[in-house]
Amino acid sequence: MDLVTLQGWLDNLSFAVLFLTMLVYWAGVAFRQTTVLPALGTGGMAIANLTIAALLVARWIEGGYFPLSNLYESLFFVAWGLTAVHLVAERMSCSPLVGAATSPLAMGITAFAALSLPDTMQVSEPLVPALKSNWLMMHVSVMLISYAALMVGSLLAIAFLVVTRGQVVELRGSSVGTGGFRDGKLRRAEAVAPTLATATAEVGDGGTAVLQAIAADAQTPTKLSPQRLTLADTLDNISYRIIGLGFPLLTIGIISGAVWANEAWGSYWSWDPKETWALITWLVFAAYLHARITKGWQGRRPALLAASGFIVVWVCYLGVNILGKGLHSYGWFF
Amino acid sequence: MTSSADSSFGWRAVRRYFKRELLPVLADLRLAIALLLAIAVFSISGTVIEQGESLEFYQANYPEDPALFGFLSWRVVLALGLDHVYRTWWFLALLILFGASLTTCTCTRQITALRWFSRTWNFYTQPRQFNKLALSAELDTGTLETLTPALTQRGYKIFTRDRALYAQKGIVGRIGPIVVHASMLLILLGAIWGAMTGFFAQEIIPSGRIFQIRNIFDAGPWAEAQIPKDWAVRVNRFWIDYTAEGTIDQFYSDLSVLDWDGNEVKRKTIHVNEPLRYKGVTLYQADWGIAAIRVRLNDSPLIEIPMSKLDAEGGGRIWGAWLPTKPDLSDGVSVVATDLQGTLLVYDNGGKLVGTVRQGRSTEINGVTLSVVELVGSTGLQIKADPGVPIVYAGFGLLMVGVLMSYVSHSQVWALEDNGRLFVGGRTNRAQVAFERELLGLIAAIAPGDEATTSEPAEPVPASTS
Repeated sequence: MDLVTLQGWLDNLSFAVLFLTMLVYWAGVAFRQTTVLPALGTGGMAIANLTIAALLVARWIEGGYFPLSNLYESLFFVAWGLTAVHLVAERMSCSPLVGAATSPLAMGITAFAALSLPDTMQVSEPLVPALKSNWLMMHVSVMLISYAALMVGSLLAIAFLVVTRGQVVELRGSSVGTGGFRDGKLRRAEAVAPTLATATAEVGDGGTAVLQAIAADAQTPTKLSPQRLTLADTLDNISYRIIGLGFPLLTIGIISGAVWANEAWGSYWSWDPKETWALITWLVFAAYLHARITKGWQGRRPALLAASGFIVVWVCYLGVNILGKGLHSYGWFF
Repeated sequence: MTSSADSSFGWRAVRRYFKRELLPVLADLRLAIALLLAIAVFSISGTVIEQGESLEFYQANYPEDPALFGFLSWRVVLALGLDHVYRTWWFLALLILFGASLTTCTCTRQITALRWFSRTWNFYTQPRQFNKLALSAELDTGTLETLTPALTQRGYKIFTRDRALYAQKGIVGRIGPIVVHASMLLILLGAIWGAMTGFFAQEIIPSGRIFQIRNIFDAGPWAEAQIPKDWAVRVNRFWIDYTAEGTIDQFYSDLSVLDWDGNEVKRKTIHVNEPLRYKGVTLYQADWGIAAIRVRLNDSPLIEIPMSKLDAEGGGRIWGAWLPTKPDLSDGVSVVATDLQGTLLVYDNGGKLVGTVRQGRSTEINGVTLSVVELVGSTGLQIKADPGVPIVYAGFGLLMVGVLMSYVSHSQVWALEDNGRLFVGGRTNRAQVAFERELLGLIAAIAPGDEATTSEPAEPVPASTS
């Protein structure tokens, strides 16, 4: 079997596997009590991940260069990144909700690349002179993996918003560490008065939510035991951690692009639409990370910012190329 | 006397205003978030509206009636500077404000916060101190001695005093954000320094010609020292490699740097992605053209005739020249080339195609033998000096290190032996989920089968709906 036939076979297979995986994850959310469905979903994602990896490797051997030169290849690379980041996020959270949010996106991307893209845009083509550089591999792969991570993080923020709709939420997890303090309702009664003072002194920024909760009421559990995170806490924190992973990658991707541009064309920043949108993405997620440590911005507001980041990432990834201007318009729609 | 007292009073008022009014505003996180989002929004406008086009372009594309969205006519575009967003005073002012906010935040918030974490005497000596931690437990079994190896195994740095223990790991996660902020200030400084002292030039040079950098189209106010005056560059040869299908594979320029006496001091063949650097100035392969053709008419000596670029419909690239075929110049032909592959199209004075001729061949026209000896290419060079680049690169390096450091979660664990019971508690700033698992594992390791670790997680929906 030659490589081209193998590729055509692998891209359809990856779509089929992801489609089934999505159904399995959704069924798993509908019927919570089953334990076999989430495990099946994880397996499906892992198979899809390996299938796409095999597809990209086949492309690499056929084309003789790292397969990131046109829309078809880049879509499959993003899909690969999504499945990989999904597996990381699922391992961190141990929640089947992660798959319910990420699998539709991975499925949609492979469906578009394998079924909707015309055959002429699927074939491997030689690189244009400007892309013949080792920087291509470094810059584009890091950028695409950062897009994948940020998309997964944003999807989890959307899942968090769905789970907590109509509720007031206190956030945990940020660089200053306002989380980690006990919810007042579950404290021991004897402790209420003295800890009021220490909490104010130590917490600083995010302490308000804790103090309000203390006033609510106090039970007397017999013995101090750990207070576990809720599902909303978990989703929010995993979303934050995955965005926290995508953000350094985006930073490194933008910097590698800037250094490449400076080495090849003599300017590390030229306000090209694509690089401007990468900066916009960076700024939006930087705003998200700062919103989490802002007094009075606790709750759902940072998650809304992260969810809107999903659109920004897509505009940066594909939207800019529809404008068809600048240095990044190779091998795409126009 | 009174005037000096006045001025010192005025100075004090300014300082007080700066400290009490301005600094808190600049250090406010909400201002920082607003600035981040404002820069994002204004940057979008520059990617939607075409930048740096001519007046006619904006008049044609942004008519006054009907204006786009009812207000965006070409007058509005030009008045607001939306044709060059990233160089307008208001965009630069936004960046400067951002830099000021960044500096203030770094100095007033981040560095002072770090002082708190640098101390090692952070012990909990009362059981009630554990109540405020979400992840804390009271155990009937276990001692500090059983806890220590479990903490060491998980990478914690441990401090003990009497029967109290404090352990932490991942302090780099606290330093990371400071490094990020400092490196961004470094990048901003480098960019400003480069804009003040650097220059940009473009030259189109035919093969074989020597040139000095003259065509400077953008230079900072202190760029004079950077512009080379004591050396020149010779283009030994310019050529294009074509693929088998006839598309361009790569452009090459063989360049020599010559000193004042004409001696070669450096030589390099450059191509896209591989520039030549000399004394802080970099020459990049950017463009190309056809400078001239060398021909013989019958047995004439070698004649070089310049070719000029013609306006082609549809944006193609065409160069042409006119060759006389009679001594009194009353008749001649036009030759046209589209690339350096060597084929020329020959048109008569009526504009009719009369034939083609390849480089190295000859053709008979109007009774004259036209031999094309050579097509002379010219290389388009982008020339740049940016003394700010080392500073910017240093900032880039630090920024990458800083963002990676900032991913690390700073975890702290406290423990206290009190009346035969062991209190254990901890918190972390970023990775709540991973830390919860770690701390529960820790408790399970020192007190197997304790109810604290076997309890179910809380309800899926948070109870704090008040």
